[in-house]
Amino acid sequence: MINIWRLTKIQLLSAFGLNKALHTQEVKERRKLLLLSIAILIGVLMIAVFSFGYSYAMALAFEQIGRVELLLAIMMAVTSMVGFFTTVYKASGVLFSYKDYDLVMSLPVKTSHVVASRILQLYVLNLFFTLMVMLPAGAVYALQAHPEAYYYLLFLPAMLCIPFVPIIAATVIGALISWFSSRFRASRMISLVLTFAAVIAFMAGSFTLNGNGQEELADLGTGLADTIYKLYPLTAMYVDAVCNYRIDSFILFILLSVLSFVIFAAVLGSRYKAIHTGLMTSHAGGKYTMKPLKASTVFHALYQKELRRYFSSSNYILNTSIGMVLLLMSSVSLLFISPEQLGEVAKIPELQHYLNTLAPVFVSMFIALSCTTSSSISLEGNNLWILKSSPVPKHIILLAKVAVNLTITVPITMISCVLLIISLRTGWMDSLLLLVIPVIFACFSALIGVMVNLKLPKLEWTSEVQVVKQSAAVLVAMLIGIISLLVPAGLSILLTGVDGKIILLGAAVIMIVVSLGLYRSMKGNGERLFRGL
Amino acid sequence: MLTIRHFTKSYKGGKKAVNDLNLVVERGDIYGFIGHNGAGKTTTIRAVVGVLDFEEGEIEIDGISMKKDPLACKSRIAYIPDNPDLYEHLTGIQYLNFIGDLFSVSKADRERLIRQYSDAFQMTVHLGDMISSYSHGMKQKLAIISALIHKPKLLVLDEPFVGLDPKAAHMLKTIMAELCNEGSAIFFSTHVLDTAEKLCNKIAIIKGGQLIAHGKTEEVKGKNSLEDVFMELIDND
Repeated sequence: MINIWRLTKIQLLSAFGLNKALHTQEVKERRKLLLLSIAILIGVLMIAVFSFGYSYAMALAFEQIGRVELLLAIMMAVTSMVGFFTTVYKASGVLFSYKDYDLVMSLPVKTSHVVASRILQLYVLNLFFTLMVMLPAGAVYALQAHPEAYYYLLFLPAMLCIPFVPIIAATVIGALISWFSSRFRASRMISLVLTFAAVIAFMAGSFTLNGNGQEELADLGTGLADTIYKLYPLTAMYVDAVCNYRIDSFILFILLSVLSFVIFAAVLGSRYKAIHTGLMTSHAGGKYTMKPLKASTVFHALYQKELRRYFSSSNYILNTSIGMVLLLMSSVSLLFISPEQLGEVAKIPELQHYLNTLAPVFVSMFIALSCTTSSSISLEGNNLWILKSSPVPKHIILLAKVAVNLTITVPITMISCVLLIISLRTGWMDSLLLLVIPVIFACFSALIGVMVNLKLPKLEWTSEVQVVKQSAAVLVAMLIGIISLLVPAGLSILLTGVDGKIILLGAAVIMIVVSLGLYRSMKGNGERLFRGL
Repeated sequence: MLTIRHFTKSYKGGKKAVNDLNLVVERGDIYGFIGHNGAGKTTTIRAVVGVLDFEEGEIEIDGISMKKDPLACKSRIAYIPDNPDLYEHLTGIQYLNFIGDLFSVSKADRERLIRQYSDAFQMTVHLGDMISSYSHGMKQKLAIISALIHKPKLLVLDEPFVGLDPKAAHMLKTIMAELCNEGSAIFFSTHVLDTAEKLCNKIAIIKGGQLIAHGKTEEVKGKNSLEDVFMELIDND
């Protein structure tokens, strides 16, 4: 068992540049990592404060109907759903796509233990989110319900088990997709398509469930509990254990969580090597004959190379294009639900107005989730020598990366915006802003991504997921993108006297100026920063 | 072709990986760079090809400063690192074409040279396969072909014979000799002293970041074998 922990520890040390932070001798590097840690800590604290406030408001509402325990039920269900959703599309990558596979598998460690260590990596990453949501919710529950001492004893171990079942469920789907795909030559493409299909089916299922239960959801009574318990039966068991101090429910909840982990690790362990071989083996034909070649410009060659890099990696695609998939899905959904209906369901009378004004921000949020540039330099990894030793101005290399990001975001954004213009029936000014602001933001986000990645590169990695999902550059770029959108959105909601369009227009102008500044900086400092990698 | 003057490279903590290194590689030279592990060979080579930044000293390629005009220098160099990490998501031919684009090789030249060197290394039939399916030796051969298709004036190789089968190693030696006859220069590191002795007209031995011997191979080794001289120099200090 100790080997599981040893393997997990090694993986976690490389996540978020933790090991580098612990061992670097360079003062500048230490300062950078310290600032980054502070930024992440502030982000975590902000989420925790927000989570506490949200839990508190919910608890007050539930108190009126004497059902404070619903707070824990809802938060547990939300945590589990988010855990499932964020794991399903990275499970295959974490389980199978890592460079040190040969090294790890040659060690005298059981295959099931290797699998367990990979799942534990997913568990630890999900646990952070669980803690950020459940700890404030648990504190609010304790403040409002004044539970007995048993509560405190049961809450903590039960909370630590919450991520297991959602992660295992997501990993089962990921492993099944990988197992199925590994039988075909185009295994990676099939895996990619199936994972997207699973994510879309899961989301569509959630929408349908919500749609059917609209009346119950509106009623903050037993109907809500029923809906949550129907959605995820373990919620009932959890609430029974923690709030009603039912030891049998507590033991069953813990057992189910831990057993699902152990059984899955053992079962996958038996087929692990075969799946990995099927997924990772490239087909070699050995029948090539020389054909005429096509010469391209340097930029076009780099763009083609970058595009091929993008589409060769299911981890890269899944983690960065999920925003575009969600955007397209949301835009198509809105064609079938009118903003008035949506406003009634959400109990926001002026939703139509907010949607019309803030639609560019709403669309841009999805673009912020689809920043490919923030990991594009890190993904060069050991191949970086090719670009560094080539006689090419480095800003051209960076621009090719920006161009690929725009190729992925702009066409889908434009289609989605046109669909939104139709469904929201926006006026000409709103329509114009909806078409222009997301494109400006796409440029801004791609440029920010490149510059952040230049400053925070992670060139030593064993799995692409470590770069695409867990690297500091990705977190920082996403944070900057989201804050850049939340500020104008917040201002247009708070400053009721000022036309929201003016605020968004102002934000767009600032983004253009910053983007131009970033472009200049890329041309000026890009060479130096690239050489320093 | 390559002039290194007072090149010094310090790493974190102030430790000098290379200290005040001076070296000249002339047209037609096959210059062997030998030293034990961690002596500073790769650091020097990476600085020469513009992959590693340096503050102290000067490196010139064909009279052009690497610090002042790195692109002009790089367009004259071909580099093959000790571990050929190539783009695994590309096929062999896509990679060669990509390198051809970066070095602005004409269509006619790249087709002719790819054909010539791929045939020589028996790689032509494999060029349509993904690089991820290649063995270490095949990747090494592809890296060598990619280095040759832009007709470099200076070919810099870090341990080029590791992973090559005997036939490919022989082919590489032949090509190196041909390139030098055509006026190019070759600067390469190796641990295979026998090969260095037979192949190189000049040798430099580095120890602890400092050159301890350099010059014509005959002058460096005298009447002894290169291996004896190397062991003596390394053990003496």
